[in-house]
Formats: sequence, structure tokens, C-alpha cells
Amino acid sequence: MGLVYSLQLAIAGGCRNPRNSALAAITVAVGLAACMTTLTLLHVLSADPLPGRSQNLYLAWVDTVQAKHEDYHSLNGVKYLDYRLIKTDAAKTLLDAHRATRQTVVAGLQVDVGTDDSRREQKGQDLLATSADFAPMFGLALRYGRPWSQEEDRTRARVALIDVGLAQQLFGTPNAVDRLIRVKGSLFRVIGVVAHFAPSPHFYGLDRWSFDAKRHETVFLPYSAALEVGLDNFNQDRCDASVSEAPIHADLARCSWLMAWVQLENAQQVSDYRQYLNHLNEQTPRSQAFGKAEPAQLIRTDEWLGMQQVVPDTVRLNVWLAGSFLLLCLVNVAGLLTAKFLSRGSEIGIRRALGAPRRAVFAQHVLEACTVCLAGGVLALPLTLGGLWILRQQADSFSALARLDLGMFTTLFALALGLGVLVGLLPAWRASMVQPGLQVKSA
Amino acid sequence: MSLHMMLSLLRRHSLIPLLLALQVAMACAILCNVLFLAWQRLEPMLADSGMDEANLILVDNVYSSKGAFSPAQLQAVVLALRQAPGVASVSPAFGLPMVTSGLVDFALQGPTGVKVGTNGYFGEGLVKTLGLKLTAGRDFLPGEYLDWGVGYEGAKQDEAATRPIIITQSLATQLFGSTQPLGQLLSDPGDKQGKTHYQVIGVVAHLLRNQLSLANHGRADNTILVSYRLAGGYMLSFGVRSQPAMRELALAGVRKAVERELRTMMGVDAQPKISFYAERRAAAFKNDRAVLWLFGGVIAAVVVVVLLGIMGLSGFWVQQRTRQIGIHRALGARRGDVLRHFLLENALITAVGIALGMGLAFLGNRLLMAHYELPSLPWGYLPLGALLMLALGQLAVLSPALRASNVPPVVATRSL
Repeated sequence: MGLVYSLQLAIAGGCRNPRNSALAAITVAVGLAACMTTLTLLHVLSADPLPGRSQNLYLAWVDTVQAKHEDYHSLNGVKYLDYRLIKTDAAKTLLDAHRATRQTVVAGLQVDVGTDDSRREQKGQDLLATSADFAPMFGLALRYGRPWSQEEDRTRARVALIDVGLAQQLFGTPNAVDRLIRVKGSLFRVIGVVAHFAPSPHFYGLDRWSFDAKRHETVFLPYSAALEVGLDNFNQDRCDASVSEAPIHADLARCSWLMAWVQLENAQQVSDYRQYLNHLNEQTPRSQAFGKAEPAQLIRTDEWLGMQQVVPDTVRLNVWLAGSFLLLCLVNVAGLLTAKFLSRGSEIGIRRALGAPRRAVFAQHVLEACTVCLAGGVLALPLTLGGLWILRQQADSFSALARLDLGMFTTLFALALGLGVLVGLLPAWRASMVQPGLQVKSA
Repeated sequence: MSLHMMLSLLRRHSLIPLLLALQVAMACAILCNVLFLAWQRLEPMLADSGMDEANLILVDNVYSSKGAFSPAQLQAVVLALRQAPGVASVSPAFGLPMVTSGLVDFALQGPTGVKVGTNGYFGEGLVKTLGLKLTAGRDFLPGEYLDWGVGYEGAKQDEAATRPIIITQSLATQLFGSTQPLGQLLSDPGDKQGKTHYQVIGVVAHLLRNQLSLANHGRADNTILVSYRLAGGYMLSFGVRSQPAMRELALAGVRKAVERELRTMMGVDAQPKISFYAERRAAAFKNDRAVLWLFGGVIAAVVVVVLLGIMGLSGFWVQQRTRQIGIHRALGARRGDVLRHFLLENALITAVGIALGMGLAFLGNRLLMAHYELPSLPWGYLPLGALLMLALGQLAVLSPALRASNVPPVVATRSL
């Protein structure tokens, strides 16, 4: 029997008992929408921050802080934050060694940025103090001008790259090359204007934010120059034991505040670099009183994101909840379809008596289940969009990122179709088991 | 109809009862776990704070932009706050309820070896300012306080001394059982030399901790007052108690005093938070409220889906058996008998579903425990879920069962 005929029967069957079909479709839609909403958020949050690059980016860490490691165990689950930052000296060593294809250090803070005549000012801009290799490593796209060179890092040149949006706000034109900006009282020459750069999660600065649709770095400066002009409000991990306990204004020279990233192309390079880091770690003189140094670490981007548990627990929890709700909906729909199919038992009996094979009856009913589920999938689309809209109204910074993309959209329909088959199997089997003779007799 | 007959009927037509039981099982598992998750969030909201909430003004987010606040500067602020109209009591404090900018993590070990994680509040006169009820012992004496502050240089070390503390009734029970808590010594389990000791000098009825996510499972009152006096440093916070009749006046006065005394030290952009307890409480629970709405939505959706599902399937099943019901009636069964039959049948199927659902609920809880910091599902939730499902099942089957009981005996004679 033709597929078209089966499909016609399926659609006709669906239309015959519209209340039952509609209820089944709505149930599927609600379950699917709940599942897709939570999955979309999980998908957005666990996305690769820099596709094509992140698999070659590694966080490098050596233990050069001259202090004892606290083994602090809290009964309240309080943990010391550890973003694997390193001290200025260690950063210089790593940068100068050139053991990786590229290497850079990063640290960030919020500053007010103005024009040189102080006529215009933008408050609370996110600034990244970094080094020359950052732009090519992280794929910073330049609209105008050029990135700074390693030579300019060494000479602590007062140069800056700024975001195209900030250029527009400050100078009224996106091309702000050779203009001057004022940061904390010091002037920096804009040598390049970069396109909007906002990897999500913000993996190279989790100490400041991990997901935030509203924040991205708009000013990039050589870290050497930033230090020289007295930018010092960077976050710190640990400090030398000689630093007294004043957590707000710590001494950057004796504290870890920079995050080192290296670009490595293959397994050989990775193992060589790991060896180099271990060597560096052992070479660092360390007082006996502070105990052994912690082993050096080389952590790939995805491992780093896993270690820091950037995807909030509640997001995964909600996927579990929505998934089990969808399962419940499916059992429910299987029940509705069974009722529907069996209520036309006599009809099936007649078809069978007239010579329709069991297979054809089965196929017809699976198809009908698929039609119902596909209708549910179509209905689920506006529901999912509504669910995502509700999510975006939440106060937390990460929910604002939840948007449906083409991939998730197709997943929705593939899921709907797959579920249709799954849900239809049992009722369709039951329908195909109807005995021809018995039904004809009582009809 | 006897139970035996009913069971054999269920066995012969097993697909529909199976689907019904499966729905009940899954709904039961989801509801048990969601109710449990919701309770985790609800418990801190229901906890007794032990304070005079209506008259408490909290001041925090006061950071210096120019080096530490000196004791003299702090004294000047306290004086200005005390002179504000309608202010009854002022305590510079570190660690305050509903304030998370300063969190003090304390571990205490009792004489029996019990270890309890608590939050500490520092500050002179907090018993009076927060309006706590002392149920035993006394408040700290002025001479017992030790100066302290975040980055405050004048802080003195007191390694050998024992620090007087005030604990809550709940902590007294957890740490000392039925023994009298006053005068007892507590140690810090993290301190390997065993130098640090705390002596209980007073007990208050309740005091809500400020790590709100831990304020569940009987841990809401895991809070202690420690005899430290906030004397300076980089960050300040205050508890201020207003006179009941002059609340608004006091709030305005406190805002003005902070602005006048601290603005130059804080810098132009600083935004200190000054508001009544209720406002801080609403802000602190904002996220929890959103999550509770979500859980509420899940519960409602599950209930609706299950109700409709049971109603639909049972309705269909009744319809299929119309003739049998008619025969049953013709043979002398009364309406009540038919109604009872369908209610009992539903109860039986639901019971099977519940048995399955309890296993599923337990498995689900284990799964969640493996991935999230979650305690195991208390047994009490299982009968709760069971009762809920039983009620839902009976409610859903009521209309099909009534329809069945209205089938007239004459149906038996038709279409034979």
C-alpha cells in the first residue's frame, strides 16, 4: 500500500476525533516546549566561546607565590576562589620564553574612559590589560588600524585598541585611529579599532563575569603600560606571605593577578610545554617554611570551563526536570492515542477482513502518531519562544543569552518526529492486533 | 464485583491500566522530587529571624576609596547616626542578616565532638540593635569586645584568650544536647593547635544566618554573635534600630548622616545601601521566589497533564465497557456498586503506579544527588506523594465513574 494512502488515512483519522487529537498535540507541545526552553539555555551556556580557536588555547599556571597553601575546610561550603592567576615575574618569564606558538597574559578591571579634552566620558568600561599576542590568539577583529607589537609591550608604549561602539560614543566616528583617550588621568593613543568582541562564556576572565549579555571589553591596553600608569585594581588570587592582610589594596608585585594563555598546535607541543612549566615551577626558589609548591598546570579551554563549573547547576537541573516532564507527556499521549485507535476497532477489523495486512494497519497508526507529534512540534515553537522570553526576563545575567538558533530549531522538529514514532509504537501495535473476525461480527 | 474478578479483568486488558499506572508513577516521582526541591528554597523564607524586623534599618556597601576608615571617623558616624531623629540604637557591625557583602564562616566543635558550620555576626550591642530575645545568660559586657575590622591595623591578636560568644537555642541543642550550654567551651575544628576557644555566655531564641542557601534542614539558626567590635577598616556596615512611631523619619535621618559623614571617604560614585530589613529580605529572596514560581509551574503542569490523562483514558475504558456495565446493572448491581467499582479500580491501578513511582522518585533523587549538592529525599515525601496521587486519581476518575453508574440496565439488551 502506498505511503500517500497511509498518510491520507492518518490525517483523516486525526481529523475525525479533533478533541482527542488536539489534546494529544497540545500535551506534546507543552512537553516539547519545556524541554526545548531548558535545552536552549544549556546549549547557549555550554557553547564553545571561540569556535575554531579554543581547542588550541591553554591556560598556563605556575606556583610562584611565596606563601603556605591554606588547606581550608569550611563546614559551610565556603571555598577560596582560585582562578589560577600568576605573578608579574612569572608572566614576564612565560612571555619572554616564546616556548609556545603564541602566548599572552590578561587581567581586567572597570574604568572610566574619556577623550583627551575630557569633554566626553564613558563610565564603567571593561578594560583588558594584555599583551601583543592577544589579538591574533583570540581572534580580535580589527576594523581600523593595527594591533600593538611585542616591542611596544617591552617599551610600555601608551597605545590602546578600543571597541567600535566606544569609538562612536567618544569620537562620533568608528575610525578613531590616532585619537587620544584618557584612562585614570593618563593618555593613550588609539592605534586600532576592533569589532564587538564578546566570547561567551567569558573564559579568560571568569573572576569578573562568566555570562553577561550586557558586558564586554571595550578597551585593550598593554599590561606593562597599564601598570606604569597606576592601574592596580585588578583581582588577585593569592599573595606572598609578606603581604599584610589588606585585601582591597594589595601589592601587585607580590600577588598573583595575571592569567597566562598559550596557543599550542599539537600533542607534542603540549607535552613539551607541560615539561617546560614543570621545570619552571621547580626552578622557582621557595622558602622551606612554605612547604612544597603545587604542580604546574596546563589546562585546555574546555577543561578549564569544566573545572570552574561555569554552567550553573540550576540550568542542568531544569533540563532534567523538563526531560522527565516530557516523558510523562509522552506516556500520556500514548494513552490518548491508544484510546483513539481502539475506539475505531471495528473499522480496523473491517480493513483487516478486507485484506489489509497487519503491517499496513501498523504503519497507518504510527504515521498518525507522527502527524499528531509534528502538529505538537509546530505548536511548541511559539511556546518555546514564549518560554525563552520569560527566561530573558529573569534577573540573573546568564538567562538573558537564551535565544533559539537554527540548530535548536531543527532539533525541535527532529525530536518531535522521533517522539511521534516512539509514542506511536505501542498504540499502533495494539491497533494492528485487532482480530478481523471478532470486530466484523459485532459491527 | 469481587477484588479477585477485578484483578483478573485488569490482567486481561493490561495495556490501558499499564499506561495509567505508568503515568501515575512518573507523576509521583516528579512531584516528590520537585516538592522536595521547592522545600529547600521555601524553608529559609519561613524561618523565624528572631529580630525586631519592622524597625531594623541595614546600612552596607560602604567602602573606602582612600585607605582605611579610622576609629575616629567611625565614631563620628556612629554619633551622627545616634543623633538622627527616631533612631533608638546603632551598631557598627560585620555580618548582618540579609547582608551578603560580609560573610563570616565559623566552624564550631562541641564537647561531644559534634561539628557545626555557622555564620558569625560581629558588632557592639547587636543584641539590643537587632532586638534579639535572650533566653539564658547575658549580653556581652563593654570590656569583653575586641577591636576588629577588614584591613584594620589596630586589631589585636588574642591567641590564648577565650572569646565570649552568644549562640542560638537551636545551636545549643545541636552542640550540647540537653546539657546546660552556659559557660561551656567550644573549639574550632580547623585549628590544629587547639588554641582557639569560644565560651558561651548567652543564648538567644532565634537569629537567622546570612548564608541563606544553607538556612534549611534545621540550619537556619546556625548563627553566633562574637564579641568583636567593628573599629575601622576598608568596609563598614551598620545595624540601626528605629523607634516604631518614627520609622520613616529615622530612615531619612540615617541616609542624611551617612551622606554627610562618609561621602568624602567613599568617593562620588559610591552607592551605599540603606534600607529597612523588609526591603533587603525581598531582594535577598528574589531569585528563590523566581525558582519557586518555576517549580509551581512544573507542579501545576504535571497535575493538569495527569488529570486529563486519567480522565481521558478512564472515560474511554468506561465507554468500551458500557454493555458489560449494563449487564452488571441488569443482574442487580446498584448505581453505588458501579461507582464504587470504578473508584476502587482506579485506586488499585494508582496504587501500583505509586509503588513504581516511589522507586522512580528514589532513583531520581539519587541521580540529582550525584550531580548537585542535595541531601537525600526524606521518607516523609513518599507518603505525601502517594496521598497526592491517590487523591488526583480519584478526582480524575470521578466523572467517568459517575457516567458509568448512570448506564441504565437496559443497555444489556441492546445490540446482542
